[in-house]
Amino acid sequence: MAGKSGREISAVPEGGLKEKLLSWEGALILILVAVNILGVAISPVYNVTNVLREMPKYLAEAFMVFGMGYILVLGDIDISVGSIVCLSATMACFAGNAGLPFPVVVLVCVLTGLVCGMINGLIASKFTELPTMIITLGTQIIFRGIAEVSLGSGGSLSMKDTSGLSALGTKIGPFPISFFVLVIFAVIFITLLSKTTFGRRLYAIGSNQTAAKYAGINVQGSRFFAFSLLGFLSGVCAIFLLSTLFGANTTTGNGFEMEIIAMCVFGGIATTGGKGNLIGAFIAAFIIFCLRIALGQRNINTQIILVVIGLMLIVSVVIPAISSAVSAGRKKQGN
Amino acid sequence: MAEDLILELKGITKIFPGVKALNNVHFQLRRGEVHALMGENGAGKSTFIKVITGVHKAEEGQMFLNGQEVDFKGPLDAQEAGIAAVYQHPTSYPELTVTENIFMGHETVSGGIIRWREMNEKAQELLDSLDADFKATDEVGALSVAQQQMMEIAKALSTNAQIFILDEPTAALTANESEKLYGIVDRLREDGKSVIFISHRFEDMYRLASRVTVFRDSQYIGTYDVDGISNADLIKAMVGREITDMYPKEDIKLGEEIFRIENFSRTGYFKDVSFDVRAGEIVGLTGLVGAGRTETIESVCGITKPDSGKVYLEGKEISIKKPKDAMDAGVILLPEDRQKQGLILSWGLGRNVTLPIQDELAKTGFNDEAKERELAKKHLEDVDTKAVTIFQPASSLSGGNQQKVVVAKALAQSNMKVVIMDEPTKGIDVGAKKEIYEIMGQLAKKGYGIIMISSEMPEIIGMSDRIFVMRGGRVSGCLSRDDVTQEKILELSMEQNSSAKGGEVA
Repeated sequence: MAGKSGREISAVPEGGLKEKLLSWEGALILILVAVNILGVAISPVYNVTNVLREMPKYLAEAFMVFGMGYILVLGDIDISVGSIVCLSATMACFAGNAGLPFPVVVLVCVLTGLVCGMINGLIASKFTELPTMIITLGTQIIFRGIAEVSLGSGGSLSMKDTSGLSALGTKIGPFPISFFVLVIFAVIFITLLSKTTFGRRLYAIGSNQTAAKYAGINVQGSRFFAFSLLGFLSGVCAIFLLSTLFGANTTTGNGFEMEIIAMCVFGGIATTGGKGNLIGAFIAAFIIFCLRIALGQRNINTQIILVVIGLMLIVSVVIPAISSAVSAGRKKQGN
Repeated sequence: MAEDLILELKGITKIFPGVKALNNVHFQLRRGEVHALMGENGAGKSTFIKVITGVHKAEEGQMFLNGQEVDFKGPLDAQEAGIAAVYQHPTSYPELTVTENIFMGHETVSGGIIRWREMNEKAQELLDSLDADFKATDEVGALSVAQQQMMEIAKALSTNAQIFILDEPTAALTANESEKLYGIVDRLREDGKSVIFISHRFEDMYRLASRVTVFRDSQYIGTYDVDGISNADLIKAMVGREITDMYPKEDIKLGEEIFRIENFSRTGYFKDVSFDVRAGEIVGLTGLVGAGRTETIESVCGITKPDSGKVYLEGKEISIKKPKDAMDAGVILLPEDRQKQGLILSWGLGRNVTLPIQDELAKTGFNDEAKERELAKKHLEDVDTKAVTIFQPASSLSGGNQQKVVVAKALAQSNMKVVIMDEPTKGIDVGAKKEIYEIMGQLAKKGYGIIMISSEMPEIIGMSDRIFVMRGGRVSGCLSRDDVTQEKILELSMEQNSSAKGGEVA
């Protein structure tokens, strides 16, 4: 049934280097450079050594960016991750203090995260009419509640034997172990989302869940997987966090969910689903870390740092909206 | 001027970035006339309507209302001048009641307090005058499309409109719902209102309009008396060429039975539905909206779970539990709603086409983009999609071309044996329709089994070898190509007909 009009449809991909530089990821790299210049300008002690010294506690958080990125691309959201981190860290401390060998402690920590994520995923995929914001608001309270009950009246628990955690916190050259693990994870998860059929399916679901279903995609299975993955990564976050804190308390992981979501959105992932990629989110995470370190070194208090990050987030979502409105306006005027 | 013109537009030109959407078009509407506006998708009809209703402002041209030149600054001006538009997809508030929708923006207020009882009474009066089968206090979301349209008409009446513009009102309606709408339009005309009627259905025009104006490629082609123009001439005016045979149904020697479903039931939706398709056969599945056609097919394809039912492919029973099972077996569904179910509108055409087959292409799990592009290009060109590149978003195409992308997506699935098309020509223009029919004909020739769900009698009769009619969730009868008539289909479709007993399958 060859087209009778013989009309040719182009299949040559558009866009070259120029477009890549003009993309949001390009802009993020420039912002990252700018933040570092700012750091050097405002703080005399802002240098590579000091930044790397302060990095580990932030690096732990960055693991969750990948899972959250997947969830947001799907058009879902998970605000329970901070509580999962708290619960995982708590369980790891109990396991450690019960005398279990360190590899088992790591396993307990990661599996606790995985199970929490699977619970989120199970509810989300079985009760599809419930918004995931509400589901994970519920589990956020439940998971932290379980952690608080376990921690008892003291509200905190320290790891008695810290040798394993210290080993996990050691550095190879100037970089902590978590940095290398993070980079490996980044390569895997960025590739998975941008280059594989699995990633394409996530975008399809986030762009139009109904059409994805009609195209034979296992929508609910994919959502279950993404929530489980984020739970697992929250467990990974918890163990690396322990390697810098050596204990858990009722406020461990507080507010992580919003920071992670902020990194993803700042990185160009739309909360409405189907848009953005992990490279942007990964760069955005480092922008926020460097900014925090720089401002922290100037003894600017945390609340003000949060205000700055909040402003950056709003500007980052407003700019694309304005620029598209402007270009639309220009098109109209052009005629 | 001798004629009593209520509305006249002269030399209207509307330019959008890069395109002339309307190029020096004219239009005259007599008082108390029903005037059809016809043309292919993209001919400029919708833009023209938006100029009349003040949504768009024309760059050139004049508009006269009751002989006075008018210049609408916005939709509100047009409304106040007595022009009301009822769109194809009603734009209502589904959570609110009919009364609230009808009086939205012009509520009956006394002393700052809304007079609900008065409004409900007035709304009910309007509905009664239209013979509506729903109440003013019903929630709009629970109404059918036909009922919502009726509500929109009631809303227009409540604003005391003199000119009614109906934009493809019958596209989503079944035969007897359309009949009811015809009745309402007749009544509007008797009351001295003037109606502009846009439709792709010739039935609508013959039934209602006294004159017809044709646009093609943004230009005014002509205005004709409906009695004085032949169907062929009208099509020629619309598409610019002669369409000799609308339904290119060839006699194909049918092969063995390729697909059969037995006793499909789902409580509340359909019961004991069975039918079969032979290789090379086009089977029509028709009935009123709500008869359970789409619901049955969706269960067959694994979208929803049936309570019971068996599927046989090439004589062997197969199990379909999820959409992927159907696709793997070679049973391909082209869903009814191409914008919501068939396509990801924000995606490029190419990615849409290859979405269902990406697993086959990516043997290692990594996307093979080069192969995807090549395949997408081939299949999109095969169905003659009007597109510039495979990267342009599906939302940038007209309805007919979107449907072709959906077809290309199905054809890309090389294991296809049976293709199920749910309302394949809904809302697309006559030229694109013909192309879809041609593709169906070619698929039949290649020995595929084809099932076409449709509410449009002419295409069901024109294209099908056999026609299964459903009513109230059951198959009420099967008609063969040789003895089918519109009357027989209607008879089997209608509820209160004693001559058609449910459940028998020929």
